[in-house]
Amino acid sequence: MTQTATESNQAVKAEGQKPAVIEVKGISKTYFRGKEKLDVLRDLSLTVGEAEFVALMGPSGSGKTTLLNIIAGLDRPSSGSVRVAGADLVGMSDAALAGFRAQNVGFIFQTYNLLPVLTARENVELPLLLTKLAPAERRRRAETALKVVGLAERMDHYPRQLSGGQEQRVTIARAIVTDPRVIVADEPTGDLDRESADDILKLLRKLVSEFNKTIIMVTHDPAAAESAGTVHHLDKGKFK
Amino acid sequence: MNLATLAARNVLRNKLRSVLTVLGVAVAILAFVLLRTVIWSWTVAAEYAAKDRVATRHKITFINPLPLRYKSQIEQVPGVSEVTWATWFGAKHPTRDQEFFQSIAVDPKSFLSVYSEVIVPAEQREKWLGNRQGALVGESLAKQMGWKVGDRITLTGTIYPGDWQFDVDGIYTVKRSSLDKATLWMHWDYLNDSVSPRQKDQAGWYLSRIKNAGDAATVAKRIDALFDSQDQQTLSMDEHAMNASFLGMFSAILKAIDVVSVVILLIMMLILGNTIAMGVRERTNEYGMLRAVGFLPKHIGAFVLLEAVVVGLLGGILGLIFAYPVVEKGVGRFLEENMGAMFPYFHMDASVAALALLLSVALGFLAALVPAYRAMQLNVVDSLRRVG
Repeated sequence: MTQTATESNQAVKAEGQKPAVIEVKGISKTYFRGKEKLDVLRDLSLTVGEAEFVALMGPSGSGKTTLLNIIAGLDRPSSGSVRVAGADLVGMSDAALAGFRAQNVGFIFQTYNLLPVLTARENVELPLLLTKLAPAERRRRAETALKVVGLAERMDHYPRQLSGGQEQRVTIARAIVTDPRVIVADEPTGDLDRESADDILKLLRKLVSEFNKTIIMVTHDPAAAESAGTVHHLDKGKFK
Repeated sequence: MNLATLAARNVLRNKLRSVLTVLGVAVAILAFVLLRTVIWSWTVAAEYAAKDRVATRHKITFINPLPLRYKSQIEQVPGVSEVTWATWFGAKHPTRDQEFFQSIAVDPKSFLSVYSEVIVPAEQREKWLGNRQGALVGESLAKQMGWKVGDRITLTGTIYPGDWQFDVDGIYTVKRSSLDKATLWMHWDYLNDSVSPRQKDQAGWYLSRIKNAGDAATVAKRIDALFDSQDQQTLSMDEHAMNASFLGMFSAILKAIDVVSVVILLIMMLILGNTIAMGVRERTNEYGMLRAVGFLPKHIGAFVLLEAVVVGLLGGILGLIFAYPVVEKGVGRFLEENMGAMFPYFHMDASVAALALLLSVALGFLAALVPAYRAMQLNVVDSLRRVG
C-alpha cells in the first residue's frame, strides 16, 4: 500500500505537480430512508495535492458534507477507494480511523464546538490528551497554536468571553495543534460577519502557504470559495 | 488538564442543575445515614457484647424460666468462674406507658461481679445492695424519666401485675459499651418474695463469666450437656448471640427500615440518572466533536461515568457533612437523652459513614451506565449534525 502511494506520488511529482494527499476514486454513498434509496454521492473522484486549498460548493443535499466526512475518516463510502495522507481509509476499523483522525486530520466546525468549561488553551490542548506528551509539552504546543492564530493574549479566556471570530480562531488552533496534514472545514465562516469571516479565510490561506496544510472546505459563501485555490461544485452527488 | 479533570469540570457546566442534584444526593444520604444509624444503634449492643460471658436460657424460648437450682450446677462446669441470674420484670411508668425501658430483676451482688463494667459510686452501691426495694438505674434512663437518687418511684408490672414501689438507690454508667445505660435493675428477691408459689425460685436466664474468652462455645456446650437429661433443657450461647436473639423480636421493624433506606438510595439513583441523561442529550454535539478529533467511545463513556461519580461523591460528602451534626448533636443527643432505652448509642458510626459514601459513588456510577452506553453508541456524523 505504502509502495503504491509512493509510486503514485512520484508519478505526480514527475509531472511537476504537488504530491497527492487526498485521493478519492469512484466513491458512491447510498443511504436508505425507510425503503427509499438515496444516492448521496455517485461515482465521484477527487485528487488534492499537498498545500492545496479546495472549496466544495453546492446546494443543500448535494453531498458536499458527506464527501468531506468521508475524506476526514468520519464516514465510509458505499463503494470506491479513499486514500488520505497515504492511508487507505476504506479498510480501516473504527478504532484505527479514530487514530488516523487524531494524527492526520484537523477539524473546523461552523458552530465551533468548543467546550465551555475549558479555557481557550485547554480547548486547544484537548486533542493532545490522546498523545503521550507530557503536560508541560501539551501546554506549550497549545500556546504555540494559539499564537499562530493570533490569540496569544486570550488563551486563558473561556469561550463565552470571546467573540465568534475569536472562537473560530480557537477552533483553528485546535485543528492545527496536532500538526495534521489535512484540515477539513465545514462552513467555517457560516456564523460570522464579513469582517470576521475574511480574517478566518486569511488565516486558512496562511496555514496553506506557510504551514503546507491541505484544506478541504465546504461553504455556501462564494466569497469564502474565492479564497480557495480550487473550487468544486457538487450537484446531486456529482461534480458539475 | 486530563480526562478526569475535564469530567469534573463538566459538573459545573449547569451550576443550578448540578447544585440541585448534589443537594438531592446529599439529602438522600442524610436520610440513609439516619435510618442506618437507627439500625446500627439497635444492633450495636449485640456487637459490643462481652466475650467472656455465656448466657443460658430455656431451650424452647427465653420466655420460659429455668429453676434457680441450676445456678449451683452451672458453677461447677469447668471453665465457669462465677454465675449470676436475671428475670425480665417488664415494668412501665404508670403515666408514661408509651416509653419502653428495660427492667430486670437480678441478684445484686453476683450481678455487679459478673457485670464488672458497671460503674456506680460506692455509697450508692452499698445502699442498693442493702435495700430489697432498691433500684439501680442507668444514667440515660434516669435522664429520660427525670429520676434522681433518693426518689421513690412507682412502676406498673406488665408480667407481674400491680404497683411496685422502688427507691432509686443508685445511678450507674458503664466503662464499656457491652451494657446499655438505660436499664432499671431491681432485686430478684423483691420479685421472688412477691410472686405466687408457682413462679417462685425461677430465673429468666443465667449469665456465667468464663475463665477464658476463647472457650465460650465449649463452655456453652458443657452447660447444655449438663441439663440434657433434665426436664428443663437449656440453650447456652455467648452474650453476642443472646443479644442477637433478643433483637430478633424487632427484626421486622429493622428489616422495614433497612428496605426504606435502600429505596431512598434507589430514588436518588434514578434522579441522578435522569440528570446525567439530560446532560448527555445536551452535549451530543460535543461528544461528536470529541469523537471526530480521535477520542474513542470508551473515552466518551468514561466522561459520562466520571461526571456521575463526581456528583455522587460530592453529594455523599455533603450528605455526611449534613448528617454528622444532625446525628451527633441534634437527633442523636435528643434520642439518647429522651429515648435512651430504645437508642442507647445513637452515634454516626464510621462503618455507616463509609457505607454511605461508597454507595453514593457506586450508585452514581450505576445511574450513569445507561446514559454512558447511549453516549458511546452515538454515531459521529449524526452527533455533529445535531446542534444543542
